[in-house]
Amino acid sequence: MRLIRWRRAGAALAVTAWCTSGLMAQEPDTTEIARLKAQIDAITREIEELKLGREVVARADTAQYGLGPAASKVYRAPEGVSLGGYGEVLYEHFREVREDNQLSGRTDQLDALRLIAYLGYKFSDKFLFNSEIEFEHGSTGRGGEASIEFAYLDYRLSSRLGLRGGVLLVPMGLINELHEPPTFLGTTRPLTEQVIVPSTWRESGVGVFGDVGDLAYRVYLINGLDAVGGGSSAASGFSGGGIRGGRQNAARALVEELAGVGRLDYTGVLGLTVGGSAYLGNSGQNRTVTTAGGSVDLGARTLIWEGHLAYQWRGLDLRGLFAMATVDQAAALNVARSLTGAASVGERMVGWYAQAGYDVLRSTRTGHQLVPYVRYERVNTQDRVPAGFAANPANDRRIVSLGAAWRPIGNIALKADYQFQHNEARTGVSQLNANLSYLF
Amino acid sequence: MRICRTSSKAVGAVGAVKAVKAVKAVGFWWLTAGPAVAAATAQTLTQDEALRLAFPPPATIERRTAFLTEEQLGRAKALAGPDVDVTSRVVTYYVGHSCGPSAPCGRSGRPLGVAYFERHRVRTLNEVLMFVVSPEGRITRVDILEFLEPPEYRASPRWLGQLLGRGLDGELSLKGAVVNLTGATLTSRAITRASRRVLALHQVIAPLKTPSP
Repeated sequence: MRLIRWRRAGAALAVTAWCTSGLMAQEPDTTEIARLKAQIDAITREIEELKLGREVVARADTAQYGLGPAASKVYRAPEGVSLGGYGEVLYEHFREVREDNQLSGRTDQLDALRLIAYLGYKFSDKFLFNSEIEFEHGSTGRGGEASIEFAYLDYRLSSRLGLRGGVLLVPMGLINELHEPPTFLGTTRPLTEQVIVPSTWRESGVGVFGDVGDLAYRVYLINGLDAVGGGSSAASGFSGGGIRGGRQNAARALVEELAGVGRLDYTGVLGLTVGGSAYLGNSGQNRTVTTAGGSVDLGARTLIWEGHLAYQWRGLDLRGLFAMATVDQAAALNVARSLTGAASVGERMVGWYAQAGYDVLRSTRTGHQLVPYVRYERVNTQDRVPAGFAANPANDRRIVSLGAAWRPIGNIALKADYQFQHNEARTGVSQLNANLSYLF
Repeated sequence: MRICRTSSKAVGAVGAVKAVKAVKAVGFWWLTAGPAVAAATAQTLTQDEALRLAFPPPATIERRTAFLTEEQLGRAKALAGPDVDVTSRVVTYYVGHSCGPSAPCGRSGRPLGVAYFERHRVRTLNEVLMFVVSPEGRITRVDILEFLEPPEYRASPRWLGQLLGRGLDGELSLKGAVVNLTGATLTSRAITRASRRVLALHQVIAPLKTPSP
C-alpha cells in the first residue's frame, strides 16, 4: 500500500516536473515570438517605405523648417529632373504613276523622321520647367535639324490658373500639342494639321492656362506668323500650299506683330474631348509692299480657327477636325512674295478630316492592340484666292487612308497604311507607308 | 443743387470703382485659391492622411502584412492578367474596422474595407496610389498620394472615378470599360494595371477571411 502511495506520489511529481519544465520552456518561446513579430514588423515597415518612398510613409505631423505639417510637405516632395522621349521612323513607298497615269518621279524613302527628348525640372510644386528637343531626319548634315519644340516655365497658382512663358506649342488642333506618334492613328499626321494648323507649331510667348470644372483653357500671346519670310526671318513665308512656311519656330522671330491664340476644351464626358481654338494676328511683320496702286502697309491679318472632337470608348477611336484660315491682303502678299498666277497664297484655306479605328483584339486577354483605321480628309489651301490670281487645282486634295496600327504595348506602335491621294489636277501620287514609333 | 448732383455722381463713381475692385479681388481669389496647387502637381497626401480619409475616426486601422507563397504569387499573376507585373511576395495592407457605441472596436470591429498602397512608374517617374477595396472585393476609393510626372499627365478625379465599384473582371482594363486618358495614355495604363494588381492580390490574400495575425 505504501509502495503504491510512493509510486503515485512519484508519478505526480514526474507529471508536475514535466509540466513545470514545459511551462518554463514556453515562457522564453512566447518572448521569442514577440521579439520576432516586432522584428518582422520593423522589416515590413522598412520594405513598405522602400516601396512607397520615404516621403509618402513619413508622418504628416513632422513639421520642418518651422512650417505647419501641410506646408512643410513641399520640402519633403522630391524635386528634380523628369525625362521622357519619343521617336519615329517612316517608310514611304510611292506609286510610279500619278492619277493621270503619268510618271510620278517620286522615289521611295526611309527616314528617321524624329527623335525627341523631353527634359523637365521641378523647382517646386509651383514652378516647373518643361522642354522638348527634337532631332529631325537623322542628321543635321543631311537636311535634318535639331530644334527646340518647346521650352517653357510654368507658375501654377492653382489648378484654375497658371502662368506660362517661353517657347510654347501653339494650342490648336488635336496633333500640335499631343503629337507622340503611338498616341494617334495614321503613319503621317493629317494634312490639315500640317498646312492649315501647321504642326508642330511653336512660337515664343506668354500666357495663362488652367481648368475650370470640365473646361480646360489656354490663352497665349505669341510672336505672329511671318507671311513673307526671307531676310533675317527664319520663316519662308506663306505659299499656295498653306501657311506652314510662316512659322518662325522661335528662331530670332520677328515680333513687329504679336498674335493671340486661345483654346477651350470640354472634357466632361470620359473619353471625350471636344473643343476649338482660334489664332488671330497680323503676319506682315510691319512690312510695306509696293503694288500697282502704290505703297501698302502689309498687315496680312491671319485668322485661323478650328473645331475638334476626339472620342475613345471600348476599343473605338474616333477623331474629327475642321479648320479654316483666312489671310487679308493676299494680293499684296503675293506681290511681296513674287507669287503669280496659280502660285497665289490662298485668301481662304479649308481642311477637315474624320477618322475611325477599332481595336479588334479588344475582347482578347492579350495586352496587344490591333487597330484597323480609316481616315478621310479634304484640304484646299486655295479655297479662295484674290482677284487676278488663280487657284492651282493640285492644292484641292482628297486623301483616303486605310491602315492598321499594332501596339504590342502602349508605348510602341507599328503602323502601316495606304494613302489614296487625289487632287483636282489629277496629279496625286498614292503611297504605302509604314511607321515604327515609340514613346517613354 | 448742382454741387449736390456732382457730389452724388462722385459718390456713385467711387462706389463703382469700389465694386470693380471688389469684383477683381473676388475674381483673383477664385482663380488663385482654387483646388490646392499640391492637388494638381506633386505629393498631396501622406500614408497616414490617406488612411484617415479612407477610414475616418472613430474607425480603427489595423496594419497587416501577407507573405505570399510561390503558388499564391503565381495565382495573383494569373488573376491580374498577362500585361500586369506582380512580383512582390511581401504585401502590406491596412484593414479598417468600424468602431462605435453599437460595435466593438479594434480587430473585432466590423471590417469596412482594405487599403493597399501602390507605387509604380508612369513615364520615367513614379506615382503612389491608395486603393481601398470593399469587403465585396470592389474598389471604393482611389487617391493619388504622390505624382512626380508633369501635372498634365495626372489622372483627374473624374477619370479615377470610373474605377469605383469595379471588381476584377475583363471590364477593368483599357480594352474593357476603362476609358483612356486623352494625352496621358501612360498614366491611364499604369493606374489600370495597378488596380488589377491590387484586386488580384486582394483575392489571393483574402484579408477579410484571414484572421488577424
